[in-house]
Amino acid sequence: MAIDISTGLIALASGLAISASAFAAAWAEKEIGVAAIGAMAEKEELFGKGLILTVIPETIVIFGLVIAYLILQLAK
Amino acid sequence: MLRPYQMSSVIITGPKNLQELVIKQLYSLKVLHIAEHAKSELADIGAPLESANKLSEILVKVRALIFALGIKKYETSFEIKKDLLSIESATDKLNASLNKSLEELKNLEASISRNESLKQEFAILKDIKMPIESLLGYKSIANFTGYIKDETRLAELKEELLKITSNFAILNARAKNKVFIVLFIDAKSKEIASSLLNKLGFLPVSFPNIAGYNGLAADNLQKIDEEITILNKNKEEARKELNKLKEEYKGFLVAADEFLSEQLEKAEAPLKFAATSSSFLIKGWIPTEDLRKSIDRLNKVAKHKIFVYFEPAIKNGKVPVKLKNPKYARPFEFFMDIYTMPSYKEIDPTFFVAITFPLLFGFMLGDFGYGLTSLIIFWALKKKIPKANEFMNIPIFASLAAILFGLLFGEFFGYEEVFGSHLPHVLSRAEDINELMYLAVAVGIVHINLGFIIGFFNEFNSHGLKTAVYAKGGWIVLEAGVLFIALSALNIISLPVYAGIIVVLFSLFMLYKGEGVRGLVEFPSIFSNTLSYARLMAIGLSSVVLAVIVNESAAEFFHQGNFLILVGVLILIVGHAVNLMLGILGGSLHSLRLHYVEFFTKFFHGGAKKYSPFGVNSS
Repeated sequence: MAIDISTGLIALASGLAISASAFAAAWAEKEIGVAAIGAMAEKEELFGKGLILTVIPETIVIFGLVIAYLILQLAK
Repeated sequence: MLRPYQMSSVIITGPKNLQELVIKQLYSLKVLHIAEHAKSELADIGAPLESANKLSEILVKVRALIFALGIKKYETSFEIKKDLLSIESATDKLNASLNKSLEELKNLEASISRNESLKQEFAILKDIKMPIESLLGYKSIANFTGYIKDETRLAELKEELLKITSNFAILNARAKNKVFIVLFIDAKSKEIASSLLNKLGFLPVSFPNIAGYNGLAADNLQKIDEEITILNKNKEEARKELNKLKEEYKGFLVAADEFLSEQLEKAEAPLKFAATSSSFLIKGWIPTEDLRKSIDRLNKVAKHKIFVYFEPAIKNGKVPVKLKNPKYARPFEFFMDIYTMPSYKEIDPTFFVAITFPLLFGFMLGDFGYGLTSLIIFWALKKKIPKANEFMNIPIFASLAAILFGLLFGEFFGYEEVFGSHLPHVLSRAEDINELMYLAVAVGIVHINLGFIIGFFNEFNSHGLKTAVYAKGGWIVLEAGVLFIALSALNIISLPVYAGIIVVLFSLFMLYKGEGVRGLVEFPSIFSNTLSYARLMAIGLSSVVLAVIVNESAAEFFHQGNFLILVGVLILIVGHAVNLMLGILGGSLHSLRLHYVEFFTKFFHGGAKKYSPFGVNSS
């Protein structure tokens, strides 16, 4: 399967968009997760709120996914 | 629906000699949410009833017993004598016998562990044919006990020792992978022997427990074994005794705990009241529908010697909230519990959540097979755990929605074909990714605008029409402006682009008027919020792709035939189980998040306390 260089670059860019945003989301979730665990150690009822707060940055990776998808459209 | 129960704020006041009576009555009425009185110059907080000290003292004892016996709380029908003295004497008696049993058990355990270590020592010595008493207690002879690597080392040791002195004796026994030796040597050569042993890699073993025993180790070992068996038997009996105690008294203890906690709650209630030296005053809230009945009862019991004042709760006060919803939506009040209660004046969003939460979840899981499986699982859980009976309705509704969307997407465990026939679908998630994304964002626009409309009514109720139009209408005008810009840029409508820009600017002005600078700063959030609904597509897509991967890797094994079919079946089961678990977890978390973060921020303030009437156990 021969792919010309421009298509390859588009694929690379799209991969970069999602991996960078996934990394950012992971980083943010890590910070929140640590704080949430800390809060839970003090007060166990905070599990629900902690869980919700922890998934909040997941939006970042969804933006990444949308952008990655838009970039892939260029290849068509 | 949409509004919590109407509340009335109530003030009850009377002479102190009626206080206990009123407390008792309020406790059994279970309607008054007490507002805690803060100490002020006018009135101090009340003092607990006299019985409070005694009650808490006995309660501590009862709880200590419950803990020591390892009793789990359960519903008991045990009839307890409602008399403090008899509870106390029973508790003390139980405490004494429990302490005795525990002490006995502790002693038995200690002797077992001592015997166990003794047994180990004898086990090492069992092949040494020499009485125990001869091993120890010499003055002119030094002795070493321990391991060396093998017989060659032993021969080497003998050879080396012979060079120093002939006054030594070695006993040895083969142990696992090494040789156990007992070396007796002239005390004068102790130092040299020690360094020699070190050089040969000698591992010394000491026998701290064998002093005082006589005879061969092997015989002793047998005796110790017998002793341990007897001790273990005794321990088992002591355990049984303890269990008997537990079985005998657990009904009493749990009932006593319940009874005493109740009494203590009543006795400590005056701490929340305002009090002077001869009167008390209770402030609180009662749901308006229970008001008449409750006041009549109180007046009757107190023979009209108390005064009860009431008025409809003011909307700006810290009114506790008791949500009012149809039966279908009631389980979803749980989501308000873990977030925050809506305040008394605003619209209770539980009903909307009850509709949209399952739908958004279903959109993400969106598979007939998965929906059916999770429906069966949660239905079984609902039957199995009566406590969670109501709560389980949430995942059950959500599973039904997943089945519905599974039909729309034509998916069955990721397959779009079942037994050779293609499942009909409105939209294929695996192929029509573009359409799926547009649909997801469209769902977002609808959901967010629903939020603005609810917000409009909230603002209208609390700040009037003008603020409502500016603060919430502004957002809708902003959306319209962006739509104009997009449509004219795409040449779908023949409006110049700047017309849309003017609409956007006008909406920003409205937002500034309605929400102040905050509205201006936050205006880009509407784009990110809308785009956030793309997760409906993203999570659904990842679920589909995972399911397809599982199916394809299983299919490879099926083609190879024979016992590999079993491997394929295993892959299908494990793969789909994992994917279903991820789908349920991801689906519910993200659906919930869309409500909390994207939907609620458009209208919801919250912060009220949950209505918890005096007399209903908060635990």
